[in-house]
Amino acid sequence: MEDIKTLAEEIQNQYVKKWKDEGGRVLGFSCVATPVEIIEAAGILPYRIKAIGSQEKELADAYMSRFNCAFCRSCLQLGLDGTYDFLDGLIETNGCDHLRGMFENWELAKKPSFFHYLRVPHFVRGDSLAAYEEELGLLGGAIAEHFAVTIDDRALDQAIAAQQEIKGMLRTMYEMRERGEPAVTGTEALAVVALSSSMPAEAFKALLEEFLKERSEAKVGGFRARLMLGGAATDELYFVEEIESLGGMVVADTLCYGSRALWRLPDSGGGPLHRLAEGYLRNLTCPRMFKHYEQRRDFVLETAKRAEVDGAVLVHNKFCDLHAVDNVALHEDLESEGVPVLLLEKDYGARADMGRIKTRIQAFLERIGR
Amino acid sequence: MSMQLVHPYEGLFNRVSGIFAIIPTLPDRLSDEDIEGLARLLPAEMSKSLRAVLEPGMREASLAFFKALGTWVEEAAYAKENGKKVVLMPFNFAPEIIYMFEKAVPVTTEIITTLGTIALDKQGDKYWDFALSMGLPDTLCSASAIEIGSLLTGIDFQPDLILSAAPGSCDANSKIHEFTANYLGLPQIMIEKPADTSRRARELYLTYFKAMLREMEEFLGEELDEDRMREVMEKANRAHELYDEIWEYRKMVPSPVPNIFNAFIYGTKYTVWGQDEGITVMQKLIDTCKRRVETGDYPAPKEIARTYWAYLFYYYDFMEFFNWLEQRGIAIVGDMPSTWFTKRIDTSSKESMIRDLASNSFDYFMTRQIGGKSILLDWCDDITWACRELSANALIYCGHHSCKQTWSVYAQMRNEFMKRTKIPTLLLQGDMWIKRMTPMSSLHQQIDEFINNVVARPRSSRK
Repeated sequence: MEDIKTLAEEIQNQYVKKWKDEGGRVLGFSCVATPVEIIEAAGILPYRIKAIGSQEKELADAYMSRFNCAFCRSCLQLGLDGTYDFLDGLIETNGCDHLRGMFENWELAKKPSFFHYLRVPHFVRGDSLAAYEEELGLLGGAIAEHFAVTIDDRALDQAIAAQQEIKGMLRTMYEMRERGEPAVTGTEALAVVALSSSMPAEAFKALLEEFLKERSEAKVGGFRARLMLGGAATDELYFVEEIESLGGMVVADTLCYGSRALWRLPDSGGGPLHRLAEGYLRNLTCPRMFKHYEQRRDFVLETAKRAEVDGAVLVHNKFCDLHAVDNVALHEDLESEGVPVLLLEKDYGARADMGRIKTRIQAFLERIGR
Repeated sequence: MSMQLVHPYEGLFNRVSGIFAIIPTLPDRLSDEDIEGLARLLPAEMSKSLRAVLEPGMREASLAFFKALGTWVEEAAYAKENGKKVVLMPFNFAPEIIYMFEKAVPVTTEIITTLGTIALDKQGDKYWDFALSMGLPDTLCSASAIEIGSLLTGIDFQPDLILSAAPGSCDANSKIHEFTANYLGLPQIMIEKPADTSRRARELYLTYFKAMLREMEEFLGEELDEDRMREVMEKANRAHELYDEIWEYRKMVPSPVPNIFNAFIYGTKYTVWGQDEGITVMQKLIDTCKRRVETGDYPAPKEIARTYWAYLFYYYDFMEFFNWLEQRGIAIVGDMPSTWFTKRIDTSSKESMIRDLASNSFDYFMTRQIGGKSILLDWCDDITWACRELSANALIYCGHHSCKQTWSVYAQMRNEFMKRTKIPTLLLQGDMWIKRMTPMSSLHQQIDEFINNVVARPRSSRK
């Protein structure tokens, strides 16, 4: 496992380096609403931009402001300082107001040779699904034109099948994590999911197979409470590690760098782009979607019940209104279903703040009698 | 908890409507003595606002504006008795769309907040505090969270529907309105702005717009009537003509348009556009500008700066903001909310009206710039155009902590703007609706330094 965690914590890991050394191209994206299958069908490596707890932001702060989420500023920092220079292009999405600013500044400062704006609707309806499907076509067209490649239905179908297989394996890992005696820790699970979008699919599959085999009979003990972690976009492994070090085993999550990405593709028929549009938009359990609170609530409640958690920690990064407001509603709904909740505001990558966070977690564990 | 903190008669809307119900009963002409007498009776905040807006040079126009708002608030307050539904909506949506329906009246979240800020004792602070006490974040926009905070107590006036056009241009605004609808069990209709400026995006928006109208018709049980639509649109068009006339006055040096009129213009747009009151107010504003041109009346010895405001103003102290600037010869020649890229509606058919209304909604303030393809460039393009049109020589941005979108690109937008225009810029920070965040004295100091050292300083003395 140490290998996976180490790999997850590296921005350009050995697999990406090898891919690049062999002449492969890499496209960066950030939002979970970006269908990686289209990029893979073009023979390009999709790479989900992350900051892995990076604390430096001075370059990004010259572009964005202190009123913007530190996760986006941290990602921008790595874009500006050259860490992400291995990317051959960027795909922007209108995930949230901060993310839009991050991409605009990144484009302005670094002028990547390929930059495409994938517009993701905020509603799930017939007209918005059709618009999103059209957007996916435009994305495929832009990639094909710029990189002089062909993206056909066969390649898309293959990429969809490969991703569904990986998602299925990740779901298996989540089931192992939710056992009465978990076989996987929350830190490990977050590392595995983070890595899944940072390396070629085939190689990742092999690593994951090995990991699942190794952990099939494992039993993690010695914890005080079973917790669910929900809320903000976070890839901060140290954050989960600290919670678990206090005895709060994170047996489930509803994070966007976690279970929110592990949906099954619906059998909606139609061509691959249609199925991708249906799959991605209908399963986007993110607070950036409007009029779909019930779907998010049900997803969170089902996860909490299935994993038999003792409590839920709902976090948001400072200045993230989407998660902060949704968490207030989720707080009420979870508590009314008998799941105690800790609402936590944090700053991304602020390790110096962990003392305060740990005190809150400890108090919460005591509150729920653990 | 709400019952302990806020009593029914203390709800923001209820208090605002209580005060504004009196305004339509005031005579059209008030003497200085009348004003002084009124001011002495009122709480400090309202007294100050009253003195600010009822200065002799603009008293008639101000009275017309506040009377219009009084009528607007009263219509909402008595809507249920009159068999109508109240539609609560954020500011970035055209109220004339609501007026097209016989059975609906609009209430604009941010306008109620602003009216509370200028008219109520201790302004809107306790409603903001109530929202925060529920766990809502202090990074929300006070413009919406103050009125929403009052609504969430559950004991203030309640709307029948929440309609929002903010998705796509403002997360904070969209999210708090969605939360409120869910929390209070109110139906909600939302329309999204595609983050694009292309023809395809406009067509998609039209599709969404039509779907929104169908939802409205279903909710109200009323089919849009072409004649009624035309009647409302013709009034909106007439008001738009008057707006265009004011735009020409804004170009004059010195500007004969009182600073506070910028706020009156969009205050009118967000409330009574498409009504007779909208035309009356716009006409009164023009009368004042015309008179100032004829008499050469100007509140300072000379106009020393022509400022354009990149986003919003400060609303928690009219006197110390609008009047203070004006008395120093610092003109506000324009601002984003009162710079429109909308057009007059083609009233030849129902379809033409719907198409043009959708187009105008697409180009509404904030929706157009922040919901554009690029926040940075779309915003910069419009500001550049307006500053050139109005011969502005300074750009000022008030950064509200909630405006994550504008904050995220402001640094580069400013660079781009200055490269294009060579016009200096000033960045201010503070909450426009809550005075306990940034003191007005600090804003005065920053504006003074900027104007005197950068904008109005003779070129020969600059090194």
